[in-house]
Amino acid sequence: MKLLNQLTLIYLALTLITLVIGGLFIFRKLESEINFELGMELKRQIDAFAVRLEQGASPEGLASDRLEIIELPADLPEEPLTLRDTLAYHDPMNQHEIQLKASKSYKIGHKHYRISYYNLVVETEDITETVVYTMLIVLFVQLLFIALFFRGLSNRMLSPFYHTLNQIQHFSFQQNEPLSLGKSTIKEFDELNGFLEKMSTKLLKDYRQIKEFSENISHEIQTPAAVVRGKLEHLMNLDISHDQAELIHAAYQNNERIHRIVKSLSLLAKLENEEFGTPTPINLTEILKRNLETLEELIHLSELTFETDLSEQVMVTMHPFIAEIMMHNLVSNAIKHNRRGGWIRVALSADRLEITNTGSPLRQQPQELMQRFKKESRHADSVGLGLSIVSQICKTYRFKFSYTFQHETHRSVIDFC
Amino acid sequence: MSMKLLVIEDNEALLQNILSFFTKEGIRCETAKSLYEAEDKLLGYAYDCILLDIMLPDGNGLSIFQRIKELSPRPNVLIISAKDSLNDKLEGLDLGADDYLPKPFHLAELHARVKALYRRSKLGGQESLRFNEILIEYEKLTVTVHGKPIELTKKEFDLLVFFVTNKNRVLGKQVIAQHLWGDYTDDLANFDFVYQHIKNLRKKICAAGGKDYLCTVYGLGYKFDENAL
Repeated sequence: MKLLNQLTLIYLALTLITLVIGGLFIFRKLESEINFELGMELKRQIDAFAVRLEQGASPEGLASDRLEIIELPADLPEEPLTLRDTLAYHDPMNQHEIQLKASKSYKIGHKHYRISYYNLVVETEDITETVVYTMLIVLFVQLLFIALFFRGLSNRMLSPFYHTLNQIQHFSFQQNEPLSLGKSTIKEFDELNGFLEKMSTKLLKDYRQIKEFSENISHEIQTPAAVVRGKLEHLMNLDISHDQAELIHAAYQNNERIHRIVKSLSLLAKLENEEFGTPTPINLTEILKRNLETLEELIHLSELTFETDLSEQVMVTMHPFIAEIMMHNLVSNAIKHNRRGGWIRVALSADRLEITNTGSPLRQQPQELMQRFKKESRHADSVGLGLSIVSQICKTYRFKFSYTFQHETHRSVIDFC
Repeated sequence: MSMKLLVIEDNEALLQNILSFFTKEGIRCETAKSLYEAEDKLLGYAYDCILLDIMLPDGNGLSIFQRIKELSPRPNVLIISAKDSLNDKLEGLDLGADDYLPKPFHLAELHARVKALYRRSKLGGQESLRFNEILIEYEKLTVTVHGKPIELTKKEFDLLVFFVTNKNRVLGKQVIAQHLWGDYTDDLANFDFVYQHIKNLRKKICAAGGKDYLCTVYGLGYKFDENAL
């Protein structure tokens, strides 16, 4: 939910609650205030009648439809003023209505009168109506205010925030430009912007350093590796004993291994940094066929049966060089981890590449083989980066890659889409 | 064939490796460790082939192409670079480099490539290579032993040329595998495919009455030995 809508809803809910509570209080207060005032008025009336009686008017002469004068025994003490609701006949409306009745007794001369006077009360419904009406007007004014404030004013107040949000969403490492968010009039937003700007600059710097590092590491390690390789090749051609040859061989093998690891790692780093340029639509069938051609001989020499089921044109959007690496890794894995007399099946359709091959059971979970340097240790020479490279390529291009082993069959599947 | 080579490379150890290898093969080598030095050399002398490293202390090696293009006759250029970047490769080949070899390379491979370049450009591919009773004709892709033609597959032909070019040298299985199957086959080199090809090649040469020059050197690799029994 949008921040603004949520704020509006909360504000509305709070306003409603306040209005209901406020309305109740106002209702109670209004009722008691009106009754009090009416009581006072009735008392004044009664007092006035008492004065008239004192002046000698007869009770009968004063009689009216809202007045009640009763003579009490003289020896009773004087009653104080009492107010109570009563149901009495109301002439103009021709029905019984709730009325407020005030009574008090007076001793005038040697006589004792109780004078009661009643009058119509303002009805509860009337008060309720008034209160609800007033509250509705208040609510309406509030709504108007909310509409004005939240839609107009707060949109303007929040605009730096939305600007920042928009900038962050469009931040990209490839563009290599730190965020520039500008000034706002609100302190909190300025703090946020300042922090984000600093963070983006730092991120870009780190990114550049890692990128440079991965570029340089390849150069810095490969040059000495080339020197070592050259020296060892010289050494091989000298007059050496069998023991020396073994030592040279071991050194040579391991130097080759370093070379392969560095090469694979720098490729992985490039994939992770998304350094390969814009992907272009390419015909995967063509690349796969070319790959299979170069590897055909190896397949043959490994005494493997080989079957293909390739759709004529499978267009996929990716970098051609990467596609080549992906295909090569998958197919050469299928050759390498096979057994003599086994088979390989390669199937490529518009949305799926599936490579199945025979091979010995896995000693570890298939998922683990996608991690770096996890390998089935049968081949001492393999580095254990092949599947992680494929997995990283699929991540980069948002393909779905799965690798499973069942019934002596290894199965790698890539779903494009 | 007498070839003159300019090696532009700033790494002293690598330079020495290349130098001693090619000198032993009877190829005259000169060296330059910077762009400045290289331009100097190019102004003064003519070379058949230039080995060019891209990362040099005073700039990018690709910038020297401008000068190389003006030269007549134009030397072959082989880029040797550790900058494992596709762009460099493409840019280099675009500018007019004849070949590209990423570091670390095998000297035997470098040697074979330099020879191949020289053969193609200077000799128009006409040249044939003789090794005692074995005669290799590049253009026709044929091999004769004692004048008798033998049937070789493309890979076996490549293998024989590679061996004869680097005769009397120990060639590791990796070097041979990389030469035959290219860069990506690193991981597959542990297979004994190399052995299969060598076995077939040896069989075919011997069947035609040739001497068995191919011998194994401990566990290290193979050698095409002139003095083999």
